[in-house]
Amino acid sequence: MELFANLAHGFVVAFSPINLLMCLIGALVGTLVGVLPGIGTIATVAMLLPITFGLPPVGALIMLAGIYYGAQYGGSTTSILVNIPGEATSVVTAIDGHQMAKQGRAGPALAIAAIGSFFAGCVATVLIAVLGAPLTKLALAFGPAEYFSLMVLGLIFAVVLAKGSVLKAIAMIVLGLLMSMVGSDIETGASRMAFNIPELADGLGFATVAMGVFGFAEIIRNLDAGAEMNRDLVQQKITGLMPTRKDLIDSTPPILRGTVLGSILGILPGGGAVIASFAAYTLEKKLAKDPKRFGRGAIEGVAAPESANNAAAQTSFIPLLTLGIPPNAVMALMVGAMTIHGIVPGPQVMQKQPDLVWGMIASMWIGNLMLIIINLPLVGIWVRLLRVPYRLMFPSIVIFCAIGIYSVNNAPVDVILAGVFGLVGYWLIKHDFEPAPLLLGMVLGPLMEENLRRALLISRGDWSVFLTRPLSAVLLAIAAFLLVLTVLPVLRAKRDEVFTESEN
Amino acid sequence: MADTMGHSATATRNTSVALGFCLLAIAPQIFEFIWSIGTIFGWGAGRGPATVVISHATALLAGAPSALLAGDTKKSSDVLLALMYSYPLFAVAILTIFMTIKSAQDYIGGIVLMALALFALWASSDLQGMRGFSFGAGTAPRMFGGLLVALSAGIALTGLMTDGPALAHYSWRGPLFVMAAILFFALAIRPLGLVVSAFVSFLIAALGSHETRWLEAVIVGACLTLGCALLFPYVLGLPMPMFPRFLVQ
Amino acid sequence: MTSIRALAGACVAAFASLCAFVAPAEAQSYPTRSITMIVPFAAGGPTDVVARIVTAHMAQTLGQSIIIENVVGAGGTTATTRAARAANDGYTLITGHMGTHAASVPLYPKLAYHPEKDFEPIALLAGTPILILARKDFPPKDLKEFVTYVKANAEKVNAAHAGVGSVSHVSCELLHSILDVKPVGVPFNGTGPAMNALVAGQVDYMCDQIVNAVPQINAGTIKAYAIATAERNPSLPNVPTTAEAGLPAFQAQAWNAMFAPKGTSPAIVASLNAAAVKALDDENVRKRLLELGSVIPGPAERTPEALAALVKAEIAKWSPVLKPAS
Repeated sequence: MELFANLAHGFVVAFSPINLLMCLIGALVGTLVGVLPGIGTIATVAMLLPITFGLPPVGALIMLAGIYYGAQYGGSTTSILVNIPGEATSVVTAIDGHQMAKQGRAGPALAIAAIGSFFAGCVATVLIAVLGAPLTKLALAFGPAEYFSLMVLGLIFAVVLAKGSVLKAIAMIVLGLLMSMVGSDIETGASRMAFNIPELADGLGFATVAMGVFGFAEIIRNLDAGAEMNRDLVQQKITGLMPTRKDLIDSTPPILRGTVLGSILGILPGGGAVIASFAAYTLEKKLAKDPKRFGRGAIEGVAAPESANNAAAQTSFIPLLTLGIPPNAVMALMVGAMTIHGIVPGPQVMQKQPDLVWGMIASMWIGNLMLIIINLPLVGIWVRLLRVPYRLMFPSIVIFCAIGIYSVNNAPVDVILAGVFGLVGYWLIKHDFEPAPLLLGMVLGPLMEENLRRALLISRGDWSVFLTRPLSAVLLAIAAFLLVLTVLPVLRAKRDEVFTESEN
Repeated sequence: MADTMGHSATATRNTSVALGFCLLAIAPQIFEFIWSIGTIFGWGAGRGPATVVISHATALLAGAPSALLAGDTKKSSDVLLALMYSYPLFAVAILTIFMTIKSAQDYIGGIVLMALALFALWASSDLQGMRGFSFGAGTAPRMFGGLLVALSAGIALTGLMTDGPALAHYSWRGPLFVMAAILFFALAIRPLGLVVSAFVSFLIAALGSHETRWLEAVIVGACLTLGCALLFPYVLGLPMPMFPRFLVQ
Repeated sequence: MTSIRALAGACVAAFASLCAFVAPAEAQSYPTRSITMIVPFAAGGPTDVVARIVTAHMAQTLGQSIIIENVVGAGGTTATTRAARAANDGYTLITGHMGTHAASVPLYPKLAYHPEKDFEPIALLAGTPILILARKDFPPKDLKEFVTYVKANAEKVNAAHAGVGSVSHVSCELLHSILDVKPVGVPFNGTGPAMNALVAGQVDYMCDQIVNAVPQINAGTIKAYAIATAERNPSLPNVPTTAEAGLPAFQAQAWNAMFAPKGTSPAIVASLNAAAVKALDDENVRKRLLELGSVIPGPAERTPEALAALVKAEIAKWSPVLKPAS
């Protein structure tokens, strides 16, 4: 089998001491980047790119890839511990993960996240090796119309994952969409709602808004008078570090389903990985016997999205490795790293650079192994961190977040904006609006608008393309089905309420 | 800007809620006025305070009503702000006085969200709309702005129709000092460097809690600053100034 | 939101006043400390790679390190604005390109700098040829057929580009103005997604820089009609020039050049120019630039004066093409 020969070759490359070291460095830096709030993968890879100038290309790319998927492991840590998602893909993890932490179950949550990520990473790596080339077709089958429909579906997921009022969740999504439109318009370059502030010319950054509505808002709320009681309670409640047998049994099916969903959606360039985590969460919530547990510390709500985002992080390499086209900003930087080394990736990169491609694939497996070895013992340290008195913890988080946000663009205005969003987030909490749908709307908004406009440009204004293209029609049908499924019970409940009231 | 009105309003005291909405209705104008004071000292560009007051006052009192009556004339941005943002909110404020609010949390939440949506509609009003079959820059913002107005009206209506929680309690100490710390960090990082700004911000943030013990905070703050000074520039290679500029040069 | 603007204004003012105090003349033994090179695009992009290759050699010549700072945003104009306002002591330079230092003038009416008035040209570093590319099953077989096809089907064809102000956008506008057609331009968020759409056949054609296109052309996933330079490129020997293929008017290059803020002393400009020229003569630098498909400027094109003339000519060239578009 050619495949095994290739893989064997890949492992020979990946097991060379220098590449093992690069893989370890990548995994460590990735974990660090994921754990530190605000520091994004893109910023770090961009900063480390010049260092790779002096390294052999294979080692350089193994390291950069390690940072990329390592950050997916680490991203869940702050989501669970302090309710600050470091990456767009770990926004969903924060919902149930942080609730688990509040119930004293941070250890099992972190461990399940690591185990799920490891399993998903391994499966997805095999998938790249075996089915990489045929799966490429999926990336090419997705035109603007399909992307638009996928984004609509993604936004419906955001409605489903809300635990409170559906109306409020939809309003938050729309607010997120509006916020995503700040900045330059992609088609005309016109500045929209930026009020001539240069820092807003490229729109609001994800890190800025996420740190604000999650991080700072959470801190401010915890400082409210009367909140000390709950915090102390959390610290006393911490139970076991590792998941129980029941936790493992409960998490197995979600990990499997999350891996499948993540692997498929990860191939799609753009928002694939983000949608994957939301889709996995939604699926679990819909399949669960008691959906009410979700949002209140369900371990499935951590296992599924974490597996999905890690699987997606691996399979998102497929378009890069088979087509030579970077599917997201981090991959674009990796293409830059290759270009600096004189390798311009293209469709033939697999044939022309077998060392690079198979070495990278093999290294991903090794990297995942390293990551779980790094992460499982860390769980104990993270949980111990929760015992630090909050009076010392919160100023530290403020500083970490501030430095993190500043480092993204070296822009002080971003830090101020995040502060403003902190106040906005505080207000949202007080009025029982959930921030997760808002963030998803913000992340998916540009993709949705751009693809809608692209699709309409190509179809010359004919809206029927969304229904006549089969893939797009299927996606919209699923979206409509999900929406009905979510809204119907709410309407019925409302009606019952009205009836009971009138009877009284 | 949303917090400005929340404090004094309790669930049933409608007049204070209405007054809050009135304040919200002219919040952008007030902000521009505060900002314009800076131009006296040569900070930033824009209109001076006098111009701001006069043009907004005329827009609110004269320009907008006459534009309403005259119809299709070209309206200035100030008049548009009055028409699209302030007037609807004034109307809501007046209506509020006659309403029974069952859930202040939902009602006020919905109205403030509506204010945001109206503001977004105004902010995108100068953008181009549909051009034949293709979207203009302003099409999508207006579409979603309109949608958000409708949704927030729905939320406000639920606040009138169904019972729900009253307005939650806001505290001032946490938000104030955390914001002050963030603001200080943002303004200090470039001129004063990471070491000074991180340490001072840590202490300012620590003021936000009454539990803070100072000796402990200073020690932890110093350790944290040292850690950050090693971690970010060296381990992660993120370039940022370390020490105050005047000391370096 | 307005309060943020106030703070931003206050920040800028505070920094400006700080900068004003710190401007000692130290042209004597330039350079005495490391130099910051602003690159207005993301690390790894074509401009960044050119800047890195050349500055690595220049740093050896000058005996000081050159730190690359990638500042992204607003089609490179954010970074260029910052460079224009930087101290003119020779320690802050910028590697601009055709977009930031020419096409931006007509594209952004409110541009905070002017390429001619706010910069001292140092040297032209490299030119990146532009190709006319199409999906592999696009009917026209060569450039002549392409021209007739696009003219006949201007209502139907779709041209992809990588966003307003990108090289692919402005060069396609030039092509369209020469052909006197206005096909639908489909914007993408960067070259990668645009190339993906072209490979997938969702759009018909685009104009793009040579770097990313070569592997795709060689693999047959897309096809190239012509290269918009005077000579054929060694990395694509089979692709004819626009002149050979019958459209001599379409000449476009995405050039990269080095600038200093206005008022930088002539001595510093001269020593930087000398270092850049030396880098362009280096065997290794040339080899790596050629690998990227770049065209290395000849001796006559490397002087500051030649660069000033190029900027002037390019602004004149792009202004009429891009004015009606924006």
